Amino acid sequence: MLVSRAKPIRSREIAASRRSQASLRWSAVLLAGALALMAAGCQTTPAQPRLVRTGNLLVDGPNAIQNGPARDRVLWEYRTAAADLRAGDFARARGYLDDALQSQDLAFGKNKGARQARGYFHAEAKKTFLGEPYERSMAYIYRGILYWMDGEPDNARACFRSAELEDSGAGDNAYAGDWILPDYLDGLATYTLGGDGSAAMQRAQAAAKEVKLPPYNPKANTLVFIEFGPGPTKFATGEYREQLRFLVPHSPVQSAEIKVAGLTVPVAPVDDVGFQATTRGGRVMDHILGNKAVFKSATDTAGNVALLGGLGTAALSRDRTAQGVGLGIALAGLLSKGISAATTPEADTRAWDNLPRYLSFASLPLPPGKHTMTVEFKNAAGQVVSNLTKTITFETRGDGRDKVLFISDQSKTPQTV
Amino acid sequence: MNLISCRNTLVIIALAGIISGCATRGVKNPSGVPVTELRPDERGFVAGTGIESQDLVAVSDKMVRSILSTPDIANAASAPRVVLDPVVNETRFPINKEIFLSRIQAELNSRARGRVVFLARDRMAALEKERQMKQAGQVTSSSDPNVVEFRGADYFLTGKLQGMSTRTSGGTSDYILYTFQLINARTSEIVWEDSAEIKKQGLEDAAYR
Repeated sequence: MLVSRAKPIRSREIAASRRSQASLRWSAVLLAGALALMAAGCQTTPAQPRLVRTGNLLVDGPNAIQNGPARDRVLWEYRTAAADLRAGDFARARGYLDDALQSQDLAFGKNKGARQARGYFHAEAKKTFLGEPYERSMAYIYRGILYWMDGEPDNARACFRSAELEDSGAGDNAYAGDWILPDYLDGLATYTLGGDGSAAMQRAQAAAKEVKLPPYNPKANTLVFIEFGPGPTKFATGEYREQLRFLVPHSPVQSAEIKVAGLTVPVAPVDDVGFQATTRGGRVMDHILGNKAVFKSATDTAGNVALLGGLGTAALSRDRTAQGVGLGIALAGLLSKGISAATTPEADTRAWDNLPRYLSFASLPLPPGKHTMTVEFKNAAGQVVSNLTKTITFETRGDGRDKVLFISDQSKTPQTV
Repeated sequence: MNLISCRNTLVIIALAGIISGCATRGVKNPSGVPVTELRPDERGFVAGTGIESQDLVAVSDKMVRSILSTPDIANAASAPRVVLDPVVNETRFPINKEIFLSRIQAELNSRARGRVVFLARDRMAALEKERQMKQAGQVTSSSDPNVVEFRGADYFLTGKLQGMSTRTSGGTSDYILYTFQLINARTSEIVWEDSAEIKKQGLEDAAYR
């Protein structure tokens, strides 16, 4: 009787145990589904229409600004403005730069995208792109050139001052605010407006070190801004690509020569954009990304330990309670590995990738009238890179207003301005 | 931990996961924000450390009150004639240089009730053309067009914006000094000067530092 009563109890226990195990399996499946949904929920972004690239920045840029993610708007405005400057469409460049600089100027306080970018589960590229200091400085430099072109040297000077300020938060004070051309032009604008300009000139000379900058020419009425070479780009390195680095490609062009109205003016690089990119120093965001990488590594390791330990306990133990505990630990390990997988310490490598490597400048005293200028770009051996020679036709007036020219080794040629 | 409590824990985690996974992605202002009308002297929800409308209003109001209490204006026998000379911008912010003097002129014309007269020097090209047409008989004239009636200035109203800016990992600080002057056109004496100063600081999100 006892035996006959004991058998149903034993079978009930077995049945209950099987139900529990089945229930546990379902729970595990449910958990896996939930994790997948969590990951999807965290990662999903609103569906954006796929941007079709033509390879022509003058087409792709406006399309991306209009239809691309809002967080990349400033990036595309930068790129398109640079392309417009080289195509001679200064009005459109002006509009894009104004919009981008306004975004820069208003980037104070709370910012949802930036907050998310600091979180463990969103990549840095989630934030609205404003650019690293060298990119922000370049936006101001370009806008300053355009203001001067429009006959507003004081607003141009304001932009050159902002360009230096953008660079003043460098980690190493030796490289803070060390652009040469913005300070030189700050002084020149002051000089043009009837002021002294010597303080800015001295700052520029200090940054230029052994290179002797030319004194301001009171008779100069034509200002020529020249840029050449491919600029810096960004890449990520480190175990989790959490470290931002800059790639500064070799420039096939090392200098230029201007020929106009019987004058031949050699033009050497004044500012190196690659140098500015690589001397910025550490960012606060680098520490955040470093912490994210440590968190990702720690949760992954903890997950591995828990998963192996838990599964080992569950497999080796004959005690059901110990097996349950082992399985629970293994699931916790799985959860930890899921968290690790969802952690995104990757550095933001979006870059204003059509910047030049070198900036230069010349001021010329030209008689009033029509002129045709030729700009030749030269390699390190001083030989002319023939396919880059530019021709620009323009007119100087004797009304006291400077004629401002912008010439890149990527500019369209011939141009009439 | 037994199987039942383990199962319950898993179910709770799973439900939490499902709920969070299916939760609608947070969209700020999904229906947009209706046009918000603000007073030009109040700080809006879009702000930087640069020169903004509230600064323009505060500074120009202060200058107008100050000019009207100047003895050369308040006690003048006849309304002094003033010409605007563009403001000099020495800050790091590109601005529309005309806007400060335009507002001061409008406020003075509104409040001074004829105690100050401004000369439209910025319209001289159009005025010259009109006078030439009168001289040529192309249009009628109520007085002799060959007599110069364009008024000379008694005073020049001008100003200067100067700034000091600092940017560190702790934030951006911008101080701007606004100074305005009334200069006697005959003697070059500065008969009135006043200033206003505004300092602003802001800090970008750490993701941008």
